[in-house]
Amino acid sequence: MKEQRIKNQIRRLRFEADEMTQAELAEKARVTRQTIIALEAQKYSPSLELAFRIAKVFNVPLEEAFQFD
Amino acid sequence: MKFLNNYSNRELNIWAELALNILVSLYFISKIYPLLINDQFNSEPILPVIFTTIIFSIVYSIIVFGVINIFTKQEEKDERDYLYELNSYKISYYISQGGILGIICLILFNVLYQENVGLLTPPKIAMIFLIIAVLSSTGKSLIQLFNYRKSI
Repeated sequence: MKEQRIKNQIRRLRFEADEMTQAELAEKARVTRQTIIALEAQKYSPSLELAFRIAKVFNVPLEEAFQFD
Repeated sequence: MKFLNNYSNRELNIWAELALNILVSLYFISKIYPLLINDQFNSEPILPVIFTTIIFSIVYSIIVFGVINIFTKQEEKDERDYLYELNSYKISYYISQGGILGIICLILFNVLYQENVGLLTPPKIAMIFLIIAVLSSTGKSLIQLFNYRKSI
C-alpha cells in the first residue's frame, strides 16, 4: 500500500483534549468517524480544508496537527 | 447484529447493493440465457421473469436497506466518501468503455465471420449490454469496498 506522506498527531491531540472520542471529533470536524479512524491510522491524507478544520477543533496551528514527511 | 458494528452504514449499503446486483443478474441471466439459445426470445416467457426480478428487487431493498438503516447510524457523505466514489466511478467507466469496445468488435467480427459464430441478434446484444452494466456496477461497488477496508 502507498504510504501517506502527511503525518498527523490527531490521536495525541484527542488524548490531550480531555480524551475526546473519535465520534466527537468527527462531529466537530463534520466528517464520518471512519474518516477519523483512517486519518489516525495514517492511511488517508485529508484535504487542506479538513486539515484546517481539525486543527481548529483542537485550537492548534495546522503544522502542529499535520506534518509533511 | 454485532458484526454490523464493524462496518459503517455506507459500507453496508454498498454490500447490500452488490449482493442485490449479483442475485438479480444471476437470476435474470440464468432465466433469459436458455431462451436466447433456443430462439424463444418473446414476451410470453420473458415478462414473468422481468416482473419477478422487479418484485424481488423491491422487497429486497425494503427489507435489507431498512434493516441496515435501522441498526446503523446514517451519516452524511464526507470528502473521503466522495473521493472513493469518484475513484470507483473511474473504474466503472473503464469497464463500460472496454465493454462497448468489445461489443463493437464483436459486431464487426460477426459481420465478417457470421457462418462460424452464429447470428448476433439484437436480444443477444442487449444481453451483452446487460452483462456489461452488471460488471460495471459490480466493479464500482467492489472498488469502493476495497478502498473503505484498505483505509481502516
